[in-house]
Amino acid sequence: MSSRRIPRLGIGGPVGSGKTMLIEQVVPRLSSRGYKAGIVSNDVVSREDAERMRRTLATEKGLISEDLVIGLATGGCPHTAVREDPSMNISVVEEMESKHRDIDLILIESGGDNITTTFSPMLADYFIYIVDVSGGDKYPRKRGLGIESCDLLVINKIDIAPHVGADLGVMERDAKEIRGSKPYVFVNCKSGQGIEDVTEHIIRDVLFESPPKVAGRLGHR
Amino acid sequence: MNIHETSIEEISMLQLSDSFFPTGMYTTSSGLEALFYSNRKITDADQLCNLIKVYLEYQIGPADCSALGNSYEHIQRKDLQKLVEVDNMLFSMKPIEEIRNASTRSGTQVLKCVNSFITENSILDKYREAIMDKRASGVYPVALAVCSNALGIPKYKAGLAMLYSFTVSIVGAALRLGMLQHFDGQRIIHELKPSVSEIVEKNIGRPLTGMWQFAPDIDILQIAHERMSSKMFIT
Repeated sequence: MSSRRIPRLGIGGPVGSGKTMLIEQVVPRLSSRGYKAGIVSNDVVSREDAERMRRTLATEKGLISEDLVIGLATGGCPHTAVREDPSMNISVVEEMESKHRDIDLILIESGGDNITTTFSPMLADYFIYIVDVSGGDKYPRKRGLGIESCDLLVINKIDIAPHVGADLGVMERDAKEIRGSKPYVFVNCKSGQGIEDVTEHIIRDVLFESPPKVAGRLGHR
Repeated sequence: MNIHETSIEEISMLQLSDSFFPTGMYTTSSGLEALFYSNRKITDADQLCNLIKVYLEYQIGPADCSALGNSYEHIQRKDLQKLVEVDNMLFSMKPIEEIRNASTRSGTQVLKCVNSFITENSILDKYREAIMDKRASGVYPVALAVCSNALGIPKYKAGLAMLYSFTVSIVGAALRLGMLQHFDGQRIIHELKPSVSEIVEKNIGRPLTGMWQFAPDIDILQIAHERMSSKMFIT
């Protein structure tokens, strides 16, 4: 890794699984610890996610500046944009790195995709895959490269598990079986339950517990 | 040049023009998406074929292809200053921000990729340095000329590769927008082969002072694309 490279975290998962909301929950927690993040949001057919995060994290909360949230279209191929040909993403991330040397981390959100999504190691140093319980408890059992190979598996919307017949015990058992010793976290991105665990994983495994680049920084304002 | 060397050169040309080569071009529609959502829909493959001819004849040929040809000459003379001049000139001829950004992003990534396996090429290194120092922007045609030269692909064939890749990117965008079927796409590419060849022949030797582009209707489409709030492509 070159000295210019800022740690990069990829977040992938199916449409509606909670990728954007996970970022909206994690960034304030990182910010409260003094870490500043930039965000590149890949969207399949709109810039809605990027615009929402710009509003919630930058305009309303002032945690980061508005130009630290960039939306990127993927030509209808979200998995290609983060794996086989991540050229446009790498280019945008490098532009962000050169303009904002003071950020500690760059989050790259994949467009909503299928369970085979993985990130090119040239694009992301660490990969979170997020699923939710609304499709039942067959995931993680059904496997898929994303679930199998990600560095951290996040299982979201645990509050609705009883309403959709998803057994969290089954999901936990299968996550252990499929992923061996690799970690998983159950979360509720609406209430914030479990998000502290995700944040701890990021600080420990992506930032290697380095101190924030700018000491004493809390938020953008 | 023996048959083995010729084969390597031709395989390199196939490699650079392959849609699997990481240029990010699959994310571009060059304004086609804006046309798709306008009230001036393209209704058949022949209309799309004619539209691609307009792109090639009035934008990509006299501007991008000419820039590639000029760059190639300067690369062979190892004249970095003139190469940067072509880069700056072409950048200034791209009035639409989305198009400019897509071109420089593809260009810088192509250079980076080729540099990962062609590690000793002074002009490639110097051009990348010029981009990092902000003296050059890394527009795709200039970057492709640098990479083609590094891989031993002759100037004319580099021009063919670029126009072919552009044609495939538009056809690919049309397919993903549901404007045509996959066999139609291949028929269009086949029918455009003579135009691609003629346009490269006509423009690859065009001097820098003769570079031009004039396709205002396409410029307007590309501006309209920038203003779309919901879109699948970056251009």
